[in-house]
Amino acid sequence: MERSPTDYRTGLWVDWCPGCGNYGILAALTQALAELGLDPAKTVIVSGIGCSGKTPHYVRVNGVHTLHGRAIPFATGVKLANPELTVIVEGGDGDLLGIGAGHFVALGRRNVDMTVIMHDNQVYGLTKGQASPTLPYGVQTKGLAKPNIQGMLNPVLLALASGYTFVARALATDVKHLKQLIKQAVKHRGAAFIDVLQPCPTYNNVYTAQFYRKTVYRLDEDPDWDPVVRDPSQEHSKKMAAMAKAHEWEPRIPVGVFYHNPLVPSFEERLQSRLGNYLEEPPARQTIVSGSDGTPVVNTESLRRMLGAKVITVRRSKRAKPVIAPMP
Amino acid sequence: MPLSDVKMLIGGPQGTGLETVSHVLIAALAYNGYGVLSGREYHSNIKGRHSYILLRVSSHEVPKSLTYPVDILAAMDPETVFTHCADVSHSGFLVYDVGGEDTRLDKIVSMESYTRQRIEKRLQREGVEPVLGKLVEYLESKGVKVVGLDYRSILSELRERHGIAPHMLSRFTSSVIVGAIAGLIGLDEESLRAGFSHRFAARKQLVEPNVYIAVKVAEHVSSKFGPRLILEESMLQHEEYMVVSGNEAVAIGKIIGGVRFQSYYPITPAQDESFFLESHEKLTDGNRQLGSVLVLQTEDEIAAIAAAMGAALAGTRAATATSGPGFDLMAEGLSWAGMNEVPIVVTYYQRGGPSTGMPTRGAQSDLFTALFSGHGEFPRVVIASGDHLEALNDAVEALNIAERYQVPVIHLLDKFLANSIATIPIPDTSSMTIDRGKLVTRVEAPLNYKRFSLDELVSPRAPLGYAVSWYTGDEHDEYGHITEDPVLRVKMHSKRMRKMELIASEIPEEHRAQLYGYTEPDLLLIGWGSVKGVVLDAARILEKKGVRVSYLHIRYMSPFASKLVGKAIGRVGVDRTVAVEHSYEAHISKLVAMNTGQRITKEIVKFTGRPIYTHELVDAVLRILDTGEKRVVLDYGA
Ligand SMILES: Cc1ncc(C[n+]2csc(CCOP(=O)(O)OP(=O)(O)O)c2C)c(N)n1
Ligand code: SF4
Repeated sequence: MERSPTDYRTGLWVDWCPGCGNYGILAALTQALAELGLDPAKTVIVSGIGCSGKTPHYVRVNGVHTLHGRAIPFATGVKLANPELTVIVEGGDGDLLGIGAGHFVALGRRNVDMTVIMHDNQVYGLTKGQASPTLPYGVQTKGLAKPNIQGMLNPVLLALASGYTFVARALATDVKHLKQLIKQAVKHRGAAFIDVLQPCPTYNNVYTAQFYRKTVYRLDEDPDWDPVVRDPSQEHSKKMAAMAKAHEWEPRIPVGVFYHNPLVPSFEERLQSRLGNYLEEPPARQTIVSGSDGTPVVNTESLRRMLGAKVITVRRSKRAKPVIAPMP
Repeated sequence: MPLSDVKMLIGGPQGTGLETVSHVLIAALAYNGYGVLSGREYHSNIKGRHSYILLRVSSHEVPKSLTYPVDILAAMDPETVFTHCADVSHSGFLVYDVGGEDTRLDKIVSMESYTRQRIEKRLQREGVEPVLGKLVEYLESKGVKVVGLDYRSILSELRERHGIAPHMLSRFTSSVIVGAIAGLIGLDEESLRAGFSHRFAARKQLVEPNVYIAVKVAEHVSSKFGPRLILEESMLQHEEYMVVSGNEAVAIGKIIGGVRFQSYYPITPAQDESFFLESHEKLTDGNRQLGSVLVLQTEDEIAAIAAAMGAALAGTRAATATSGPGFDLMAEGLSWAGMNEVPIVVTYYQRGGPSTGMPTRGAQSDLFTALFSGHGEFPRVVIASGDHLEALNDAVEALNIAERYQVPVIHLLDKFLANSIATIPIPDTSSMTIDRGKLVTRVEAPLNYKRFSLDELVSPRAPLGYAVSWYTGDEHDEYGHITEDPVLRVKMHSKRMRKMELIASEIPEEHRAQLYGYTEPDLLLIGWGSVKGVVLDAARILEKKGVRVSYLHIRYMSPFASKLVGKAIGRVGVDRTVAVEHSYEAHISKLVAMNTGQRITKEIVKFTGRPIYTHELVDAVLRILDTGEKRVVLDYGA
């Protein structure tokens, strides 16, 4: 069935500020969903809290708007319970790298097959403009009373260090490019991360749309740039190259795919090799009741066999035989 | 005359074979049909600190509680004798290593200075020099029968016979202990072999050398040190037992109950449950795979509850397990589950707090954390288990209730139950059912599905993947979209909250609280969780002393059986009602007051991190009756 981006919109009023970069991300997302032709019932967008966190309500696929910083572990539970679902995480930079940094790292280590789209506006939007972990040291944006006293975290480097197997950066206002990256990320089997530079006209008057237009350049403009690992022997050198690129910030900021390694087994594949039947019968698809009367599938008999090491059969003759010497 | 009940304490340094002693003995005893209950005390330490097992075996029941003094004190090291010299009955037996007789109390570096000072004082009072040999002489003078064995020479014989390397020998100390106990209570070689085979099922080469020593020691003890404490033949009718800890009982309940996703972050005393689940992750019956449990070790407890909720939204029976500090981290998630009507079970093992408190010791001080943590109002069910069988059944029940009413359920346990081991019958699943509530996988208009339909208190629930639905921590409409409309808020919030009434009306009060004993006793004890066993045992002893004690066991902390509890107390009168709890405040009294308006003012509490023992509870009850004391604080145990 042909689907258009509008099929993936809910028609709810979008309550972001005029000019917000989130509109570009929403457009790119729905276009990507349409072009991938994803079944809305089998697609899940999981978000955290913040302006970005509202994204699922505007998209007509399953939406799970969770807690501040917790989108990744929720999404992990959803995906591992039913790997047939396509799972996309939407989170702010405060959400994913402030309160949720531990989860962000953990996803890389696990390489669960999902896509994380980070709305990187360098501020905490919904709580009125405090500095987020991606705002450089010494920068004073509109809402800040003082210049930022904390240092900047590099999300692309962190993703690479954590083990994400698809790492990219995009600009929210370049909808076409972002859409392309989302499609690539969703198709990738493993943990994918897209750092989306998202202008916030309300609170961030330093890193504006105009600023990015001037500073951003595309990695794929370089015909020699090839981020894809095609052989395990390339893993190291490609990651090093990606890290070097990730270090670039001002005056020129690279966007595009930094690293793409399809060779690392996804968490689902790891589970499959351990559990045997994981992909055919993931947790959400298993039968736990036998018949219609509610009898558990694991019954006394199977339990006795399964937990044999816990079972002691009482010997017939309980009386101690006088093997041990009699009392004096 | 053969005995029907024997109590023993086996102590030694943590990590040097106590686990083996306990495992082998329990297996050997179960093999003979006895009922066994055993508890374990240990420091927050992996190797070296003093640890001990308190074990009770009975020929006519599965013991419900542990008590002092013990009939056998078996020491792997001198520290055990010093620490527990007052715990052994004056007609009991002491098993110890004569090789350590010269050990002075102040040379035992693993002992805490406070403990040492206390023991020093006690010995001083009795005029005993703080040297092991002297202490043993003293105990002997009091009537204790002393079984002194030379552990080293027993073990070196093994070295010659079985060619065990010298540095491995100390690992066999456990079989010296097992052998001595076997000799005292009359376990034969076949039983010992059964015990060791069970323990070393995966390392069969260890069975024979261990059996060899144990039998040797048993023969020696039974011929040299009589009369012994021979156990009478078991009168229990079981043909087989399962030997499980409380953690394992819950895990088995979860397996039966259909948990297929369990997330956790390691914490004592909860982690063993997830460990057990992971080691049985493939649910098989012969060659047939019945399913599998995906056990996910997360980066923290926040992620653990979030991942479990994600899995639940996708239609899996999902759970997590933790204890106090971890549960605190889960509070925000719990509230999300309340708002989103997520069927999720959190197994909560209480331990001594506040903060990391006494991390390997027990408590019942988190009742209100379980009941009230999380922000905002939302319905929740809190079930507390009193013993191993209850724990297993409650795990199944908690899962059913979570899905039937689409609410978070907290299954509350404590360290005492979690770490104690009991012989239970193999769970009979024919009496168990799985109720998945209004789980639907066919939705008529999947693009127009109202996950939070206001038509019913419990809306049909389609998992992610079967319809398009929204979830949000914010107040929401029937589709799950955010709303701040006041009228809709009243409807949605009331729908959620009213489930509590529904649950209370569908689960009878008699199921949520049980009265054991007389309706008009001399004294009514109220308790919950692992207090159950010790009160029931104490009541029996008191009965013989002419005191009639009843026990009101609260199983559902929420919804509370207000009428039943109110009536039970009303009949006896608050003056004759006593709360029993492992806490300072006897929280159950407050909960009763909140729900019934009756204020219980008498209490027996213990907050040393050790369980309430039968003998001290009996004394406490008598004190309350005799002297009118209102509050008794118990502190027995090392
Ligand atoms: C545990 C917790 N702490 C704080 C908040 C308050 N809060 C709401 S939104 C937000 C910031 C969101 O910032 P970011 O993740 O950068 O997203 P943005 O709004 O910029 O899209 C915070 C701190 C919360 N909801 N939960
Ligand atoms: S505050 Fe910033 S991020 Fe939030 S909606 Fe407004 S412009 Fe967008």
